[in-house]
Amino acid sequence: MIEASAVSRELPAKPNDKTVLSHYSVTDSGYDEMYSAPGELRPHWRHMARFLEETGSEELARRQAEIQRLLQSDGVTYNTYDDPHESQRYWSLDPIPLLMTGEEWSTLAAGLEQRSRLLNALLADLYGPRLTIRHGWLPPQLIHAHPGFLPPCHQSLPAGGRWLIFHGVDLARGPDGVFRVYGDRSQSPSGAGYTLENRITLARAMPLLYRDAPLRRLASFLEAERTTLAGMARHNPENPHVVLLTPGPNSPVYFEHAYLANYLSLSLVEGEDLVVRDGRVWLKTLGGLRPVDVILRRVLDAFCDPLELRGDSLLGVPGLLQAARGGHVVIANALGSSLIENPGLATFLPLLCRHLLGEDLKLHSLPTWWCGQASDLSHVLAHLDTLVVRSILPGGPYWEGQQLDTAARALLTERIRAKPHLFVAQAPSALSTAPVLEDGRLVPRPVMLRGFVVAENHGYRVMPGGLARISSGLDTLQLALQKGGISKDWWVMAPTPQRHVSLLRQAHGPIVVTRDGSDLPSRLADNLFWLGRYSERLDSTARLLREALGRLLEWEQDNTDERCLDDLFQALEITVPPVAESPRARFFALRQPLLDLVLGSTHPGSLQAIFGGMSRTGRAVRNHLGDDSWRLLNRLQHWIQEPSPNMGARQARELLEEGLMVLTAFCGLNNETMPHHQGWLFFDIGRYLERVLHTLNLFKLAFITARHPGVPLWEVVLTITDNLTAYRRRYRSALHPTAIIDLLLFDEGNPRSVGYQLRRLQRNIGRLQQPKNSPYRSAEERLILQATTTLQLADIKALATLSHDSTRSSAELSRLLDDVQEPVLTLSDAITHSHFSHAEVPQQLITMQP
Amino acid sequence: MRYTITHRTLYQYSSGVVLCHNEARLLPRETPWQLCRPSQIRIRPRPALSLERQDFFGNRVLYFAIQDVHYRLEVTVATEVRVLNERPFDETSSSPPWEQARQALWESLDPEIIEARTLALDSPFVKTRPAFLAYAEPSFPPGRPLLEAVADLNQRIYREFKYDPHFTTVATPLDEVLSERRGVCQDFAHLAIACLRALGLAARYVSGYLETLPPPGQARLVGADASHAWLAVYVPGIGWAEFDPTNNCMPREKHVTLAWGRDYGDVAPLRGVMTGGGSHALKVAVDVEPNPEPFKS
Repeated sequence: MIEASAVSRELPAKPNDKTVLSHYSVTDSGYDEMYSAPGELRPHWRHMARFLEETGSEELARRQAEIQRLLQSDGVTYNTYDDPHESQRYWSLDPIPLLMTGEEWSTLAAGLEQRSRLLNALLADLYGPRLTIRHGWLPPQLIHAHPGFLPPCHQSLPAGGRWLIFHGVDLARGPDGVFRVYGDRSQSPSGAGYTLENRITLARAMPLLYRDAPLRRLASFLEAERTTLAGMARHNPENPHVVLLTPGPNSPVYFEHAYLANYLSLSLVEGEDLVVRDGRVWLKTLGGLRPVDVILRRVLDAFCDPLELRGDSLLGVPGLLQAARGGHVVIANALGSSLIENPGLATFLPLLCRHLLGEDLKLHSLPTWWCGQASDLSHVLAHLDTLVVRSILPGGPYWEGQQLDTAARALLTERIRAKPHLFVAQAPSALSTAPVLEDGRLVPRPVMLRGFVVAENHGYRVMPGGLARISSGLDTLQLALQKGGISKDWWVMAPTPQRHVSLLRQAHGPIVVTRDGSDLPSRLADNLFWLGRYSERLDSTARLLREALGRLLEWEQDNTDERCLDDLFQALEITVPPVAESPRARFFALRQPLLDLVLGSTHPGSLQAIFGGMSRTGRAVRNHLGDDSWRLLNRLQHWIQEPSPNMGARQARELLEEGLMVLTAFCGLNNETMPHHQGWLFFDIGRYLERVLHTLNLFKLAFITARHPGVPLWEVVLTITDNLTAYRRRYRSALHPTAIIDLLLFDEGNPRSVGYQLRRLQRNIGRLQQPKNSPYRSAEERLILQATTTLQLADIKALATLSHDSTRSSAELSRLLDDVQEPVLTLSDAITHSHFSHAEVPQQLITMQP
Repeated sequence: MRYTITHRTLYQYSSGVVLCHNEARLLPRETPWQLCRPSQIRIRPRPALSLERQDFFGNRVLYFAIQDVHYRLEVTVATEVRVLNERPFDETSSSPPWEQARQALWESLDPEIIEARTLALDSPFVKTRPAFLAYAEPSFPPGRPLLEAVADLNQRIYREFKYDPHFTTVATPLDEVLSERRGVCQDFAHLAIACLRALGLAARYVSGYLETLPPPGQARLVGADASHAWLAVYVPGIGWAEFDPTNNCMPREKHVTLAWGRDYGDVAPLRGVMTGGGSHALKVAVDVEPNPEPFKS
């Protein structure tokens, strides 16, 4: 950030680079956002054009790369399902914002505000007196055939409640320069978080441009969102508890959910975290149930309550609709409000606006024909080749008439005639173009906008700006982003420069777990525990692999003793290949299973498989990790997903070396930045539980089960635990088992020793908040006490008689290791039972899915 | 006729249920031909919260939540009802040709008819397909009076389908019922509804009870009755005419109405979501007891 601004300060000295704009060609037939005619720059773009020429194409390309780097390191992603190898796609942002004059925006905003009022009034009517239906203003089949209409939501909002709180509107300008609406979003009107991230990223990558530009800032809109949410609470008006309900880390826009929750200071929760009791909604936390007053909903409404809505949903909260009906919890947007996403409504809005608001509709939709009306149907069938036909169902298919051959057209006609009320047709229109940076030059590309509206007092407030993206006008935002579409920041100009409000920056500050930690949701504690376990498991596996590859390479080069490889294979739970005829063949045979663990993903012990668990749990606790930790997790993701397929043993070892550094930084940083409250305790317990089991296994291998015990293997064990140097410094002698046992088993000052690890577990388990104040020790406290005392009471002298060729004490050591290991093995279940078990999933009394 | 309807549901769980939310549609609705006395509701363990409301279709819904650990749930509802024999329609009623009824349904501006139109659309359990239209067509030649045509369809389902309580479950698709020609009252009602909706007509699903008569010379068995289901077709401007394809008749005083909706999903007698419980066993006992005592008023 600092580097970027330092560079830009030196820039004005350079001559203007006219080539940036010289290739930008516009035509008279279309509408371009930057030029009113060829060579005629629109006045509000002058400052921008000058800046772009002064910056020059080379520097712009550098800024573009910088933007992508910033977005990647912030982990701004969009999850996709279609590609199993690349389940997360990075957000992509063009460096040139889309500019709009304040006057133009005011007109547009008035239209958006009216549209939100109208759709809210329509929802109130359709789930209430239904006058629009009964008077024949709106055909019932259009509403009832759309899955957004949910009969259980009828009259489910207490008096004075508002249906539509957040409203997203997709817009584009046609060749005539007029804005038209392409779609309304109420289900999960995503994009506001990405808009904010775009703005912040642009400010970081182009600090001078951003600082000097007279543009309207977004902070006050976000502040209004926060105020509105808090103001809706029926209970605790002075300190309402507002949560953001997300489907979870697999949601395509999970990044935004986490981002907004953090920005607006909301608890980020999933359905499992909530429970309805006594007619109210509660958050399940480590400290017990905490009442929830307002829910910012990002789960599809049909999935929100398995009692009254879709019974097969695991994302919802049983009894939620009843709680909303009672007015004890307020949901934004209200359950049932997704019916306004029905594209067929566009046909009826002008009339509905007159009837419901007594006003003329200000902002029109793209011309739309609803095939459920006889006159519209005949028009559509007669003009099929010039129209785009869409199913009204969410995510339904669309057909471009002009692309269809005769047979396809006949098939479509048949489909429409069978259920005409399920289809609409729209007259496509060329979208206005805006400059996009490609290869250092600006080129005109069609753009679509998403505007955002939030309820405020008795009306609605419109975000000054929003999300722009390159679009053909046919795809939806979700579809476009899944394909890796390019977004743009949409700027609304102000008469004078506005001071930058620091609120935006605050969203990037360090993240705090919770104040006392007892209100940590149980599911998050569970995920933090497993994040700890997976990260330690990844660490120990990577260390074993690094060592195995190292030995393999030494053997290949210097023909050293390679027999300990057998034992390392055993530790990695892979089979040793049969003896090959030549050393070369043996090398490859030994190398392959190791490379499979480093690069492949099929073996459950492979790095990718373990990282899968780490990534899943890490994303679930996104808001409880520091930003730098989050960046490191993203780096690990890169590291693990992008190894070259033709890697040899040496490169694989270097790769492991690098990955271990990032992993160590991740764990270390969590220690440094996460407040050491309940959340961190679970992370740390997870790590040390895993580590103690790993160390005990290594011990068993080296001293009891090894096929080739002796110095080479002991050396390996010391290297894996990073204790070889410590040993040498302390003993300055050849390896002796008694000394190793003392260093790695009993020395409580050595963080790699079992003794230290057990002590740390004992201390942290003792600090866990117990659900009830019981005078007795909890199961996990008893187990760790058992393991610790077993070790402390061990007769070191009896073990110390061990020597190179003696097996006499092995039985005693073996017994000791077993006795220590046994309680530790059941510790995980005990912790789960005590702390996470009320995160149990509800089930249906009867199976009710058609 | 007067009846005392007793509907008892018992769930037993293999492990404790810590919380459950339920919705019961077990309180009979009032209609012009059915009067109900206040129901006696017994829920064990006692619910922490219980509320009655009306749903979108005007049915009475009882919501209740149990918040203490329990291993069994027992819901018993007993209601005295009086069912009249007089109905808006009988087998001899005249009705408009079915195409005319369909046209009125889709074109009228009468609010009641507009609302009825929503029941001509697909619903979660009843999705119209060409196969249902093909099955219905022989009963609907051009110009045939609507009620005569529906009575014919009703009779064909009764004759051509085998009543087989072991063949279907709630989840059996309607296509399978049609191709295998067997099912229970719920399937036959859904099938008739699917046929009518495929023709563009409005039809609704009715849940309730039917008085069953013991074989001659035997005593009536208490609790041996069961829930029943049938359907109603809309005659625009006049009202809803009921048909029972399981018994090839138009319901009269022996049919006690509980609730109606688009399909079974809207009127399931008892649904619930519970936390815990493991596996569970269900017992349902329904008793339709003719009650000679007149209503006391």
